[in-house]
Amino acid sequence: MGKPSASKKKPTRVKKQSTVYRTRRKTKDIDQIHEDMKPGTAAKLLSQEVDLDLPGSGQFYCLHCAKHFISEEALKKHFRGKPHKKRLKELQDEPYTQAEADRAAGMGNYKAPGKVKVTTQDVKEKMDTVDVEEKSL
Amino acid sequence: MRLEKCYFCSSTVYPGHGINFVRNDCKIFRFCRSKCHKSFKKKRNPRKVKWTKAFRKSSGKELTVDPALEFEKRRNVPVKYDRKLWKETVNAMKKVEEIKIRRQNQHIINRLKKGKELRKADDFREVEKNLSLIRAPGAPSRKMLEKKMVQVIKEEDDEEMEEI
Repeated sequence: MGKPSASKKKPTRVKKQSTVYRTRRKTKDIDQIHEDMKPGTAAKLLSQEVDLDLPGSGQFYCLHCAKHFISEEALKKHFRGKPHKKRLKELQDEPYTQAEADRAAGMGNYKAPGKVKVTTQDVKEKMDTVDVEEKSL
Repeated sequence: MRLEKCYFCSSTVYPGHGINFVRNDCKIFRFCRSKCHKSFKKKRNPRKVKWTKAFRKSSGKELTVDPALEFEKRRNVPVKYDRKLWKETVNAMKKVEEIKIRRQNQHIINRLKKGKELRKADDFREVEKNLSLIRAPGAPSRKMLEKKMVQVIKEEDDEEMEEI
């Protein structure tokens, strides 16, 4: 099922559904992430310019979860975590479209969705840290 | 006028019903009712929600590939009004619908046949596993009984031979 499995810990504060799913709070949909994963846009998103308004100045971005992290450590920790692995699994199928909805409704033959190969982006060692080490030596 | 299909459950969205959502990349999502709209907001995958058409098609519950499904389609070709053509089309639609329903029902019947077979095999397995409940463990098996019968017949034959 699409429902997330219930976690053992109870959440401390349950937020109202209407606030959580507001359009203002909307995060990227799965099909948008499929668009992002295309080589050209992926390269752009992975090497963003420094933006001080974003967490970690926009330097530590997870492409598949569409999320900024504050440090490389946090990003790496996220890759090891469950939400990221779940997301990778979810991305393995081709995205659902209106065309598929039409075909499912009996407008044309239904085709099963294809598979997409998804792997976690590799983390580049930041050049800055290397420089600092050399300087200290 | 065009009757669009719901993005989530693939049902027809009739005029005056449902809601349209336009994402900030100009993509339009049509929903037939708030149930579908809410599910979309929760980022549910229609292929994994059991009550949607997409689920029923992708998991093989309904007929997916058939020439009868090729009639209803978005063609994007303007057709000039012609009374005769209109009449024929309406008649053809009725006929196609009839054939489609018959084939879909046949598909479901064929699908359920498999379960019947599996249930029968399961019953056989259960009987074989719990044979001791039907027959006492010490009771002679059929093979043993057959051997005994053969022995008795042989003995009788010997006796008869001796008498002669």
